Amino acid sequence: MKVSLSWLKDFVDIDVDVETLADKLVGAGFEVEEIIDAGANMKNVVLGKIVELEKHPDADKLQICQIDVGGKELVQIVTGAQNVSKGDLVPVAMDNSLLPTGQEIKKGKLRGVPSNGMLCSGEELKLTESEYVGASVHGILIMNGEKYPLGTDMNVVLGNDDVVLDIGVTANRSDCNSVLGIAREVATVLNKTLKMPDVSFETDKSVKVSDIIDVDVEDKELCPRYMAAAVSDIKIQDSPEIIQKRLKSVGLRPINNIVDITNYVLIEIGQPMHAFDKNYIEGGKIIPRRAKNGEKIVALNEKEYVLDDTMLVICDVKKPCAIGGVMGGLNSGINDKTNTIIFESAKFLRDNIRRTSRKLNLHSDSSFRYERGIDFDSQRLGIMRALSLIYKYGFGKIADGLIDKLSQDLTRNKVETSVEEINGILGIEVPKDTVLNILNSLQIQSEIDKDGKLTCVCPAFRDDIENANDLAEEVIRLYGYDKVKSTLLKGGNQTLGGKNRQEKNIDVLKDICVYHGMSEILTYSFTTPKSFDILKLSQDDARRNCVKLLKPLGEDLSVMRTTLAYSMISTLASNCLKSNKKAKLFEIANVYLPQTSDMSQLPSEVNTLALGRYGEGEDFFTMKGIVEVILKKFGLNGEFKRADISYLHKGRSADIYVGKNLIGYLGEVHPEVAKSFDVSERMYIAELNVDMLNKLDDCSYEFVAISNYPPIERDIAVVVDESVLAGDLLACVRKGGGNLLVDAKIFDIYRNKEVLGENKKSVAISLVFRLAERTLTDEEVNAKINRILSKLSSEHNAVLR
Amino acid sequence: MKEKIAQLIEQAKQAVKQSHTLALINSVKVKYLGKSGELTQLLRGMKDLPPEERPLVGKYVNEARDVITQITEDKTKQLEQAEIDAKMLEESVDITLDGKAEERGSLHPCTLVTNEIVEIFTSLGFTLGEGPEIEFDKFCFQMLNIPPDHPARDMQDTFYITDDVLLRTHTSSMQARTMIKTQPPIRIVCPGKVYRPDDDATHSPMFQQVEGLVVDENVTLCDLKGLLETFAQRLFDKNTKVRFRPSFFPFTEPSVEVDVTCSVCHGKGCRICKGTGWIEILGAGVVNPKVLENCGIDSKKYKGLAFGMGIERTAMIKYGIPDMRILFENDVRFLKEFK
Repeated sequence: MKVSLSWLKDFVDIDVDVETLADKLVGAGFEVEEIIDAGANMKNVVLGKIVELEKHPDADKLQICQIDVGGKELVQIVTGAQNVSKGDLVPVAMDNSLLPTGQEIKKGKLRGVPSNGMLCSGEELKLTESEYVGASVHGILIMNGEKYPLGTDMNVVLGNDDVVLDIGVTANRSDCNSVLGIAREVATVLNKTLKMPDVSFETDKSVKVSDIIDVDVEDKELCPRYMAAAVSDIKIQDSPEIIQKRLKSVGLRPINNIVDITNYVLIEIGQPMHAFDKNYIEGGKIIPRRAKNGEKIVALNEKEYVLDDTMLVICDVKKPCAIGGVMGGLNSGINDKTNTIIFESAKFLRDNIRRTSRKLNLHSDSSFRYERGIDFDSQRLGIMRALSLIYKYGFGKIADGLIDKLSQDLTRNKVETSVEEINGILGIEVPKDTVLNILNSLQIQSEIDKDGKLTCVCPAFRDDIENANDLAEEVIRLYGYDKVKSTLLKGGNQTLGGKNRQEKNIDVLKDICVYHGMSEILTYSFTTPKSFDILKLSQDDARRNCVKLLKPLGEDLSVMRTTLAYSMISTLASNCLKSNKKAKLFEIANVYLPQTSDMSQLPSEVNTLALGRYGEGEDFFTMKGIVEVILKKFGLNGEFKRADISYLHKGRSADIYVGKNLIGYLGEVHPEVAKSFDVSERMYIAELNVDMLNKLDDCSYEFVAISNYPPIERDIAVVVDESVLAGDLLACVRKGGGNLLVDAKIFDIYRNKEVLGENKKSVAISLVFRLAERTLTDEEVNAKINRILSKLSSEHNAVLR
Repeated sequence: MKEKIAQLIEQAKQAVKQSHTLALINSVKVKYLGKSGELTQLLRGMKDLPPEERPLVGKYVNEARDVITQITEDKTKQLEQAEIDAKMLEESVDITLDGKAEERGSLHPCTLVTNEIVEIFTSLGFTLGEGPEIEFDKFCFQMLNIPPDHPARDMQDTFYITDDVLLRTHTSSMQARTMIKTQPPIRIVCPGKVYRPDDDATHSPMFQQVEGLVVDENVTLCDLKGLLETFAQRLFDKNTKVRFRPSFFPFTEPSVEVDVTCSVCHGKGCRICKGTGWIEILGAGVVNPKVLENCGIDSKKYKGLAFGMGIERTAMIKYGIPDMRILFENDVRFLKEFK
């Protein structure tokens, strides 16, 4: 909300400087986002008149001007401009002046002739044509018959002599979206009396408003109050300068006297107003009603809108003339020939205006205020203020009487509480009298009865106040937040606090990753639907079923990811493309899996760990090693089965099972997928379901006595077909070894066609046997080895080498 | 005889002195002390001596054996030591070469900040709260006193999935999730991802917040200040001061913005705090009793305190990161700055 200092001063006597005022407003909950002093960047530029003009003796293109700037002596200035003539009013930058462009002007000589300043162009004053007619002309800005005396500071001439505060008004304080509302707060913080706007006027008793117009509110829910007045014999003209200047200061463009008055009242009182040209209101009747489905209206912005029956329209007997609270219709707007107008000052249902405005994507200063809420007292104040301005400037004859269609009781919020309750919220002891003074200064009528009950009746414009907490906020923001002390939950109950096991497990997971050289990444939860194609997912792959945003920021961020693979691969790839020789990355984040197509059930959010590595020394087994460390930390034994995953290398990928649960996968990225990221480097990724790891978590520590008896170590080597997997061999060995076998490891794989034959390999396995309670005998171990060999032979056709 | 023995000792001493290897010293040992060595020969020759001389000569010989044994052993030790030293010298390495452990990875700066915040609050009796990122409108807005079409909805643009389901715009949704299933006393912190349709140098469409909630008897605005002061002093430094400024959030009343003294200039004014000496880090307030009632908590008996802060913003302040987008670029060179 922009508000100018001079406008505020109409309603409150401000006797502090603007910085102090701003500080006080901030303290009371109004953030001053900017203090705009439009005149600060132009100094010592004044209005002057060219009284003499002659050619420069030594330069064809230069002219010597004698300028009257209101002083006793004329000022001589040499100019290169050709568009000036004797008698012109021009902006004059005097010696030691500053222009809005940042340029500083000092006196000097031009081709030997002294020049004591500079005549300015519109561009040099940073004026646009819409701000000042003629500003865009090439050459000196010729002023249009200004009524200011010569020598007047150009900031005054151009209306830059006011300071504008840009104030952030929070959503609960709709009453402060107006100069009057801010003035009310200023009066409170400065301890001054608020002066109300002048609403006096006289009517033309010979004409009754009811003779000109009738109002029939058809939808009383959407339009609980509709006030109307009529003004005839209007002459459409420019507004008085003060109105124009004030509208400009808050960023509104002056249009004509009638439209400007509606805008002026909107800014000053906060009540949106509308003016209809009576000529175009057919049947002499205004009917606020619901639009018909498909009904059309061309609004003042000259765009056509198709309406539906949730929206309020202001109609005559035949057609819609305005989209209620949002924008007037082009068909009934004010134009140069307008003679009689109808002022509208209404209250519309807050939420409905918001819905309509969003649906139509049509926003205006009116709709902004209606969406935030207009109180029931504003309609009368607004329409009276508009009429008083009409009367003051003599713009027309005001018909006698006001139409007021009110269909609701005017109620005031009433809160019953106690000073003790308010202080109980704040934690400090604000004295009773102080509480009463603060609340009453805010026009909240407050009194304490003999039992200590505090009864507060709120003014209409403070319908945000509903309970003791609201009152506590009013008290403390004016009493001062600096009076709040620090105490550490002194009245509270004791609680244990801390993370639970699952939460700690996540920390442990991250630690494992960090100690294995990996850096944590942070990527968006939304992704592009193209990612599914890039990952070569089949059309019926479940991961294509994803949550879609209704209005994404772009196609690339339009769906919620169902796998972390795409973001991990693309992050690896982007590092690769930045010539980073290696990258070891991880991320723990949710993937989002829809449960029902209509979202009646929320999608399941599965916490997932993604690992990704590339660079020298990386292969399938470095990744597998980390996965194994993680599984071990959760007390789990993983089983790795050859996987068929579209974006992974067929021969170098595995599904990871714990029992029957598929908990993830790992593998090398498919070369074609890598290529689609312009990467030829081999990249390795893994994805693990963290929620499932947490569910299966079987890690517990229990003391087991270590054996004092020596182990017996044996190595065996067996020849098997190339297709036999090491994991299967080891599983078979472990089965055969029983509880005597405490360790079995493959330590060598040997291939030699001549010695072993085609498609054969020799696998060397080291075995460790041990018992806790006694020393093993060779016979016992030999028996086990024979059992192992016979199992290997029967299950894998293995031959002892 | 005595002279002969003395001579022998002298010869042995010479021989030991000239032995520069363990092999030579061994042969000296054999020559003088061995089974057929010089001293043994002398003992053997004792039988030819008159009996009265034998004890004396025996004594001489034994003394000579002790002396020669001592000097050969000393020499042996000396040579062994030299040999070990020589071997170690030969095996010496360039100790300035890199160590062999795998390089340590790093946590994301946002995780570092989250961990620190969570650690502070868990030590103050808080547990972690949770709730989904894809959330019903009810939990994200309505129960928090933001009904449909309420002007407060304009405070946060929202990514919708259906009319009723959205990406949560703040971690405050977890307040409602916690309160409907837990009775006081409640002390939770809820870190999590949140989403709003903004994308520029200081906004990301996805970012992280930490929400905090206390619901208990007899808690006040002063407790909120004390809690946040303790927090800020632990997160930044022990001299950090906290300031409340009035603000508005629909789910707290009174609502405040919380500033802390700038950790860089300690309140003097610098580039980080834009010369004000204060940095805004939190939004907070006393939970609006309407929210407690919406969540089934008796607002006559209990009061709530709530606060929320942005993780990315805090990380940017703490580590001096100028542009939020850097946090999402995931360049390993950047990530490794936080090892």
